[in-house]
Amino acid sequence: MKEGLVKEIVDCYNGDQGMLIPMMQDLQAEYGYLPPEELRILSRALDIPLMRIYSVSTFYASFRHAPKGQHEITLCMGTVCYLKGSKQISDTICEEYNIEPGSTTSDRLFTLNAVNCVGACAVAPVMIVDGKYYGNLTPESALEIIHGLDFGSEEEDTEKTKKSMKEVSNRRSNRE
Amino acid sequence: MNSTGTGEAILSPHLISSPAELEALSEKLRKQKDPSTKTVRVCIGPGCAAKGSLKIYDLFTTAAEESPENMKIDSKGVGCHGLCERGPIVIVEHGDVPGEIFYQQVEEPDVAEIFRETVLSGRIVERLLYEDSTTGKKIKSSKEIPFYKTQERIALAQNGLIDPTSINDYIATGGYSALAKALTTMNPEDIIEEVVKSGLRGRGGGGFPTGRKWRSCRDAKGSQKYVICNGDEGDPGAFMDRAVMEGNPHSIIEGMVIGAYAIGSSQGFIYVRNEYPLSVKRLGVAIEQAHKLGFLGKNIMGNSFSFDIRINRGGGAFVCGESTALMASLEGRVGEPRAKYVHTVEHGLHDQPTNLNNVETWATISSIINKGGEWFSSIGTEDSKGTKVFCLVGKIKNTGLVEIPMGMTLRQIIYDIGGGVKNDKAFKAVQTGGPSGGCIPAQFLDTPVGFDELTKLGSMMGSGGMIVIDEDTCVVNFAKYYINFLRQESCGKCTPCREGIPQMLYILERITHGEGEEGDLEKLETLAQLLADASLCALGKTAANPVLSTIKYFQDEYEAHIIEKRCPAKECRGLFSYEIVPDACTGCGICLKNCPVDAISGEKKEPHLIDQDICTKCGTCFEKCPFGAIVKV
Amino acid sequence: MPKVSIDGVEVIVPMESTILDAAQKAGIWIPTLCYNPAVTSTANCRLCLVELRRNGRSTLVTSCNYPVRSDIVVSVSSERAQKARRGVMELLLARAPESNELKELAKKMGIDGTPYPTVTEAQRNCILCGLCTRVCEEVIGCSAIGFAGRGTDRFVTTAFRLASEDCIACGACAVVCPVGTIQIRIHEDTGEAEISPFKSRAKLLVCEKCGKRMVTEPVAFQVNDKVKIDWEEFRQRARLCPECRRKRTAESVAIVALKKD
Repeated sequence: MKEGLVKEIVDCYNGDQGMLIPMMQDLQAEYGYLPPEELRILSRALDIPLMRIYSVSTFYASFRHAPKGQHEITLCMGTVCYLKGSKQISDTICEEYNIEPGSTTSDRLFTLNAVNCVGACAVAPVMIVDGKYYGNLTPESALEIIHGLDFGSEEEDTEKTKKSMKEVSNRRSNRE
Repeated sequence: MNSTGTGEAILSPHLISSPAELEALSEKLRKQKDPSTKTVRVCIGPGCAAKGSLKIYDLFTTAAEESPENMKIDSKGVGCHGLCERGPIVIVEHGDVPGEIFYQQVEEPDVAEIFRETVLSGRIVERLLYEDSTTGKKIKSSKEIPFYKTQERIALAQNGLIDPTSINDYIATGGYSALAKALTTMNPEDIIEEVVKSGLRGRGGGGFPTGRKWRSCRDAKGSQKYVICNGDEGDPGAFMDRAVMEGNPHSIIEGMVIGAYAIGSSQGFIYVRNEYPLSVKRLGVAIEQAHKLGFLGKNIMGNSFSFDIRINRGGGAFVCGESTALMASLEGRVGEPRAKYVHTVEHGLHDQPTNLNNVETWATISSIINKGGEWFSSIGTEDSKGTKVFCLVGKIKNTGLVEIPMGMTLRQIIYDIGGGVKNDKAFKAVQTGGPSGGCIPAQFLDTPVGFDELTKLGSMMGSGGMIVIDEDTCVVNFAKYYINFLRQESCGKCTPCREGIPQMLYILERITHGEGEEGDLEKLETLAQLLADASLCALGKTAANPVLSTIKYFQDEYEAHIIEKRCPAKECRGLFSYEIVPDACTGCGICLKNCPVDAISGEKKEPHLIDQDICTKCGTCFEKCPFGAIVKV
Repeated sequence: MPKVSIDGVEVIVPMESTILDAAQKAGIWIPTLCYNPAVTSTANCRLCLVELRRNGRSTLVTSCNYPVRSDIVVSVSSERAQKARRGVMELLLARAPESNELKELAKKMGIDGTPYPTVTEAQRNCILCGLCTRVCEEVIGCSAIGFAGRGTDRFVTTAFRLASEDCIACGACAVVCPVGTIQIRIHEDTGEAEISPFKSRAKLLVCEKCGKRMVTEPVAFQVNDKVKIDWEEFRQRARLCPECRRKRTAESVAIVALKKD
C-alpha cells in the first residue's frame, strides 16, 4: 500500500467532502480496487463515518472491493445489444470461465463487467476489451477474442502501472 | 488532434476580453486556412470508432504529415455525423471539387486509394460513395443523401465539421460569439427573456420550459447558485449526449457560461456518466482551452462575472440521471432521489438554488442567443419548439443520430430518414423514451414527434432514444428486458419501486417461460398503477410504461404466451417449435449428433425429423445446422 | 398560520408543519412506518400517502414530509389514496412475511394478507425504512449502521459487514425498528448486550447495589464524552442504577430532614 496516498488525494480536492466519489475513483485508479484499509484512512481524513463511505462504495456499480484481473472486459447489455444477442454472449463467456458479470476469473486473467449501454449501438453487440471496442459479435467471435488474451510479462505489468500512475498525477496537476 | 487528444496550441496568447477581439481572432483563423488546403475529416465518433475509424484516422494523418508542406493537406478527427450504419465515414474537402465528398464504409485498405485519388488529385472513388437503394445512383454530397436531406441541425450543427479538441476550429466557425454577445450587450434579464421566447424545453426528457427554470433560479435566494449539466445519459440505446460531449464540447461550455451569467452562478458542474471516459477527457481538454482564452475563470469578457466548471464522473448508477439523485452524488452521497415538494431551483445542491439542464439543452443556447428566441420558436410545433436529436437504433436500416424539427412524424423519421426496417421485415413498434417510455405500434406512425404527442400514446419522447423492433421481436420479452434493467438500477429507497419492480419481473419471467396464469395481466396493471401513484421519483413512476404500452397494443401477444404457451415472435425459448424443412435438409446429421435429448432421427443423406414429443426446444440444432434447414414455427 | 382541510376537517397549524402534523391535530389517523419525530423524514416507505388537490390537479403525496400550505385540500380516505396505501402494505407484507408488528399495522388498515409472493431473498424481515440508520446517525451520532448495496438487494449493515467499532450497543436501533427485526439480546454468561443482527457486543455496567444491568460501557463512555467530567468521578456516580440512586437520594434527604428536626 502506498503511504500517504490518501492524504495526497484528499489534499488534491481540498478536503471537500462533496468530492468523495472522485476521491474514491482516484483511489481505485491507483489500486484497481478499494482496499478497506485505505477507506478507513479516508474516513478519518475527511471526518466522514466509515459506514457512509462503505454505503457509497457499495451503491455505485463502478466500485470494486476486490482486485481486478489483468484485462478488463466490458459487455454492453443495452437494449440494442440485448436485441442482438448480448445475453447469449454473456452466458457463453460466463459458462466457459465459470464466472458471473462483475467478477474476476480465478486466475485473475480478466474481470468481466456488464454495463447498460456504451453508446455504440450501430455495431451491436459490443464488447470492450481494455478500452478497445469490438462490435458485431457472436458468442463464438467473443470467445475467440478472449482466448487471445494473455497474462503479459512482469515488465508489461509494471509499465502499465507506471503509465496509470503518471496519468493520475497528470490529472492531479491539471487540477491545480 | 493527436491520438491522445491533448489539443493543439492555442493561437492567441492572451485572454479574449471583448467581442471585437473574438471576431478578430475568428477572422484570423478563417483567413489562416488556405482555400487550397485539402482536408480529410475522419469520423471518430462512437459508432465509427467501434468499426476501426481511429486506425483510419491515424493512417490519413501519417499520410498528410509525410506529404510535402506545400501540398497543404490537413487531416482531422471529427465527431459523430450521424449515419453510423455506414461508418467509418470519411469526408474530403478538395478545392477543385465543389462541395464535399462523402465516403462511407471506408476500410483501412481504402485509405491509400482515397488519399491518392481524391485528396491529391480531386478524383472521386465511386465505389465508396453512398448508393441510393431505390435509384441505384451514387451520391457525392451528404446533403443529397435521404438520411440527411430532411434533417435540421442546431445542436449537432458543428458535429462532423470541427475537430472537437480544437478551440480554434470552434472559434473559426463562430464559436463563443454568443457568449461575447450575451456578456457584453445583454443583461441577465434579456438573456432569460430570449430563452423564454424561444420556447426551449428541457431536452433530457422532462421537457420543462428552460427559460422559466432559469428565471426561477435567478429569483431564488441563496448565497451561492449552481448550474449543472446533466451528462448522465443512461437510457440504453441512446448516445445523443455522448455525440455532443465528444463531438462539440465547447458548445456545452458556451451555453453554461451564458446560463450562469443569466442566473447569477459562479460555479458549474458537468456530471458525466462513468461509462463515458472519452467524454470526460474531451470536456476536460475543452475546459482547459476555454480557461486559456478567458471564456472561463475570472472577469469573463471584461465583465465582472466569474465562472468555473468542474467535471464530475458518475459512479455507475442510472438513477443519477434524476436531478436530485445527481445532486446527492455531487454531495458525496448515494444517488437517492428525494421528494421535489421543494424545488431544486430553490434548494438544490448543498441546499442552494441550482439550475440543472441536459447536455443538448445547453448545446442549443448559443444558437438561440445568436439568432434569437423568435427564430428558434419558428421551428417545430406549438408546444414543442426547435429541433431534437434522436438516436435511431434497432432493426432499422440507417442506424444513427439524427436531428429533426419537432413535428416531423415517426413515419418520416423511421422510413424517409431511417430507410425503413432492416431486411425489409415487418415493422412492429418503435420504443421511445427509454425505460420510462413505451412501444408505439404501426397505426400511430403518422404521429408528429413532440413532448406531448407521444405521452398521449402511453410513451414519451424522453431524451431521444428510438428503438425500432420488427416482427421477430417478442414484446413480452422486450418489456421484461426493461423491467430487469430497472430492477438493477433502482436505488432501493422507496417501497413501490424496490418491491414492485421485482414483482412485475417475477410475473413476466413466468409468462416468458410458459408459466403464465390467468389474471397475470390484471396483476401487472395493478402493480403499474401502484408504481405510478406511489413511487418517489420518475424512475419508479414510469417504470411500468414499457409493460403497460405493450399490453395495450399487443395484448394478443401476451395472451398467446399466457393461454397458449406460445411465443408468436418465436423468441421465448420453449414457447415455439423447431422443424426441419425436408427440402433444405441434406441429411448431414450434425443436428442429430448434437441433440442433447436424441429427439432427431434420420438416415444419412436423408431428410431428418425432430420428434416434437421429445424435443425440449433448446435450439441447439437450429444453431448448429450449416444449411439453415431448421426453422422456427 | 396556514389553514388546511383534511377529509373535510379544517385545522390551523404552525408554519413548517406537515400534513401528518395537521392530520394528527385533526384527529385523523394516517398509517406510517418510516416516520419518527426524532429523526428527519425521508418518506421512503410510502405508507402515509394521501391525495392532494392543488391548482385544479390531484396527486398523491407523502403526508410525513409535505409542507402544509393554504391552497391545498387533503383527502386521506379517498379511494385513490386508500388503494395506494393498500398496495404499499401488500408489497411490504410480501417482503417481511414474519413480522407480527407489520401484520398488526396491516390489520389496523383493514388489510389481512397479501396477493404477492415473496420474490426476493432479502434481509430477514427488514422493510428498509431506514429508521435504525437515521437514529444512529442523527440522534446517537455514531453512524455505525447504514445501507449497503442498491435496489432490491439493499440491506442494513455495518461497515464491511464486520462488527462495528463505532457501535456503542445502545439499542436505539432496536427501539425504533417498527417491525421487530432488530433485537437486543442479553448474554447472561458474559454480561454482554448484543445488537442482533449487527454482531455488536458490549459489556453491560451493573448496579453495585442490586445487581441490575444498566447501560453498556461504550454508552457510558459516549455520555461521559458529552458531559465532560472526569471518568472516575462519572463512574462513581454511575455505580448505581436509577432506582437505587433514587432510593439513596431519598435516604440522604430523609437523613438531612431528620437532622434538621
